[in-house]
Amino acid sequence: MKKWWFLIGIWAIGLTACEDVIEVDVPAEEPRLVVEGLLRVDTTQVFVPVEVKLSQTAGFFDEILPVTDAEQVIIILQTLDEDGLPTGTGTKSLTQLEPGSGIYVPDPSFDADQRLRVSTVVENDILFTLVVQWQERRYAAQTKYVTSVPIDELRLGDGTLFDEDETELIVRFTDDPDLDNFYVFDFGFGNYLVTEDTFYKGQEFEFSYFYDEDFDPGTELQVGILGADRTFYNYMDLLLDQTQGQQGPFQTPVATARGNVFDVTNLDNDQILDNAGQPNTYGLGYFAIVQEFTAEITVE
Amino acid sequence: MRSELRRIPFLLVFLLATGMMAQERFTLSGTVTEANSNETLIGVSILVPELRTGAVSNEYGFYSLTLPEGTYEVVVSYLGFREIRRTLTFDASRRIDFQLEEEAEELEEVVLTEDVERLDIRKPQMSVAALSVETIKKIPVVLGEADVIKSIILLPGVTNAGEASSGFNVRGGAVDQNLILLDEAIIFNSSHLFGFFSVFNPDAIKDIKLYKGGIPARYGGRVSSVLDIFQKEGNSKEFHINGGIGAVASRLLAEGPIVKDKASFLVGGRASYAHLFLPLIDLDNRAYFYDLNTKLNYQVNEKNNLFLSGYFGRDLFSINDLFVNTYGNAVFNFRWNHIFSDKLFSNLSLIYSDYYYGLELDFVGFEWDSGIQNFNVKYDLKHYLSDKLQINYGLNNIYYVFNPGKIIPNSPESGIVEEQLTKKYANENALYVDVSHEITENLSLGYGLRVSQFNRLGQDEFYVYENDNPVDFDPFSLVYQEATPIDTINPGRGETLKKFLNFEPRISASYALNDRNSIKASYTRMAQYLHLLSNTSSPTPLDVWTPSGPYVEPQLLDQYALGFFRNSASGEYSFETEVFYKDVDNRIDYIDGANLIANNAIEQVILNGEARAYGWELLLRKNTGPLTGWIAYTLSRSEQRTPGRDLEIDNGRSGIETGINFGEWYSTPYDKTHDLTVFANYELNRRWSFNANFIYQTGQPTNYPIGQFQFEGLVVPYYGLRNQERLPDFHRLDLAATLRPKPKPNRKLRSEWVFSIYNVYNRMNAASINFRQNQDTGRNEAVRTSIFGIVPSVTYNFRF
Repeated sequence: MKKWWFLIGIWAIGLTACEDVIEVDVPAEEPRLVVEGLLRVDTTQVFVPVEVKLSQTAGFFDEILPVTDAEQVIIILQTLDEDGLPTGTGTKSLTQLEPGSGIYVPDPSFDADQRLRVSTVVENDILFTLVVQWQERRYAAQTKYVTSVPIDELRLGDGTLFDEDETELIVRFTDDPDLDNFYVFDFGFGNYLVTEDTFYKGQEFEFSYFYDEDFDPGTELQVGILGADRTFYNYMDLLLDQTQGQQGPFQTPVATARGNVFDVTNLDNDQILDNAGQPNTYGLGYFAIVQEFTAEITVE
Repeated sequence: MRSELRRIPFLLVFLLATGMMAQERFTLSGTVTEANSNETLIGVSILVPELRTGAVSNEYGFYSLTLPEGTYEVVVSYLGFREIRRTLTFDASRRIDFQLEEEAEELEEVVLTEDVERLDIRKPQMSVAALSVETIKKIPVVLGEADVIKSIILLPGVTNAGEASSGFNVRGGAVDQNLILLDEAIIFNSSHLFGFFSVFNPDAIKDIKLYKGGIPARYGGRVSSVLDIFQKEGNSKEFHINGGIGAVASRLLAEGPIVKDKASFLVGGRASYAHLFLPLIDLDNRAYFYDLNTKLNYQVNEKNNLFLSGYFGRDLFSINDLFVNTYGNAVFNFRWNHIFSDKLFSNLSLIYSDYYYGLELDFVGFEWDSGIQNFNVKYDLKHYLSDKLQINYGLNNIYYVFNPGKIIPNSPESGIVEEQLTKKYANENALYVDVSHEITENLSLGYGLRVSQFNRLGQDEFYVYENDNPVDFDPFSLVYQEATPIDTINPGRGETLKKFLNFEPRISASYALNDRNSIKASYTRMAQYLHLLSNTSSPTPLDVWTPSGPYVEPQLLDQYALGFFRNSASGEYSFETEVFYKDVDNRIDYIDGANLIANNAIEQVILNGEARAYGWELLLRKNTGPLTGWIAYTLSRSEQRTPGRDLEIDNGRSGIETGINFGEWYSTPYDKTHDLTVFANYELNRRWSFNANFIYQTGQPTNYPIGQFQFEGLVVPYYGLRNQERLPDFHRLDLAATLRPKPKPNRKLRSEWVFSIYNVYNRMNAASINFRQNQDTGRNEAVRTSIFGIVPSVTYNFRF
């Protein structure tokens, strides 16, 4: 819901404002670990495409480098019973796909299959923990599988909002009435929209999305609807806030887009259970396992 | 605090007694009006030079002066008006209404600066900025529309978040901490077109005062400043029309008698042109505003005067009818002035005010209505006990209804479910006593106490949280998160959810070193029970107000100010300088990524923090001569912080919360280290006058990314501590020239042309710097957004 409100600010400023690119000296800090671990589950497939991308932060005008020397990348699976207590544990080991890529996938050199089966994810209540060991620090991120709903219909509209070089895409889906749902729409080309179902719970809901581009006929548009829990929704929301740029006088205060990746190096599960003693050692990025439905449409 | 309160009535009795011990005294009282229109005049001096004493007419033109028996010369003076000197024998109390005549025809005259802007050395009141409407109309502004808010920003200690931002910031305070009163009614949003213009029609305004500190006890409810605006009553002698045609908007105002010398009306309208910004975006867009000011005044008899006033303003934007946005204020106000005796003046006000914000998003399929309504009853008494002692006292009750929003599907096909977010209700009441007391010839005191009480009333649904804590802290990610309510209760509206009581003492003193120099000091404590939920540098019209209650504490201010004031011997120059320090407890802050709109559980994203500001203000004015104007400079700092709460978390440890921004002080978005303004007005001759203003401000605090990363194809700049960097400095020069053509003989029409150039040297002042990836090149870039370059404009004003 939130993103629609945001239009107002842009519009007011867009009226008379003029924009130009300027030179700015930006501050810099030591590189941090960034985890791109959004695993999209297609429930019609057998395996979850496990692919975790590790990289390092860089100065805003510098080049982003991959993390090619992670000492360990594993996913720990803890099956939970009805009371949320662990009943069994498994581990999946990941290794770099190609040296220098920074992309880590289930290690094929193991005797046992390190791939993650869709059935395992869907049929059990599992707490997934991603553990990354890099440069003598240990990072961890925990998540649970979140379901989504299918897209009922995609169709093209001919409306525009801000200027004529836009493409209107009308999306219809039906909200799951049993849960408080959060969704992340992936419209491709780095376009995302987050929404929650507060005002359309259990309803068939239709809205227009406006691409900031007038696509050529024949362009294939793919739309994904990803399930999200509140934390992931908040995270994506914050990322979009930061990437869409500030809105002049309507800018919101910046926030470090912290995900669910924590530095756990000095935590011992006994005496030190929190990060209060090391507030500045965090990693960035997110680890999530979510269901995704997709739909395609061709621009005419 | 309690014992302090007990002492005050005692003090009052003592003071009253000293007043009564003197020899036999008689009272001169009455009203001061303008001869041509019967419009009451505010701030007129009624002086008795022989006794070095005098009185000043109040907001309703009433004055009262009590003197020992004798014969004195009384001088009634108001700059721009012909002085009245009359020798009066004080052997009985009597009423004299003075009528002042203007020195020259309006619009043709050379009005320099009205008395209201002059410095009063001996009055304890400090930190007040007064501007006459004449001055406001002369200040060059963008697109040529005279503007109250844009004018007060030229005064020391007053800034705003930049061009096209709404509201104003006083002494490092937030926009929502200003109490804006239009004929005593509270205005919740002072801007049109997202801050391009303010809602006040300068033609309909009589008097403006901005209190930055030393705020009298009769005002309360906001912690930063009071902007008190009075509208004209209307001419009860002759019918007049005046108006203006500008580049953006036109104005028309009619006033005249209904019953000659007894009743008058005033109707003023202002509207911008409908397709204002159409050429800029080639689409079917509309953006316009209009407002309507009305006033009826009926003088029942010498002792009773009735006023009805109304204000209605709306802004409308629409894009292709897909997105329609309407908002504005409506104010209705009934007032009754009653003079009990020559020493006791009273005013009763019944005020209804309503702020509405509506939105229609066709492409998502819903409409949105939100707003705030209030019913305000005020009863104020002004008791002129002697020429040395005046006591104001009164009471005030405001009932609020907050509508955080109602979402309505706009068609049967829409998937949106109609929902009314829980309305909130509150009642605020206050009692005050406010004394101005001349202790000796050189020492004057102003002191008072306001006792305010706020009742947050019950509502339909109210969430209850574990440990009464609606915000959780995650000890691993060190991030604040919304807590999940453990219960929902349904307290009725008759119940009180939480009650607050605050004592707000106000003290100010003036010590005159001699006739030309004085030192003043003040202390102000104020409470603010309403909070504007705004997470942006400058509020948007959509921002919703929320009352204090079980989870949100009222803001409490302590402000100290000390100043030195000097008038030159001739009165040509005046100089004032003040230092101030203030801190505000319970300034709300928001958790990272907080969603403030359409949020039914706003308490889940709010933390109570604190704010402080301090600074040094200098103002040098030239009051007379062909060249008038001022130089104002402010050096200041404004910060806030929200430390971690000392709460126990799950694992039993406490005090591990990091707070917002690691609990460190950070610059507020309106922290401007240096703020320099120069305003000059030069009257060349009867036909031509020229004006210029120059503004220099330290750039607004902002953030530059300390790094970037990628996530799912997004290039994300990420930030460290808040507001560590600044935008480039803001500066700008504006010029205006006014031409008054010679009036044709036998014609009543008077007219003037105002030619203005805003931002003469076309400085591209940054409103913001955005960090983003260029969609075409894929490279990261810093993009500066600037609002106005050079803007020339012409306005035509007329009166007949």
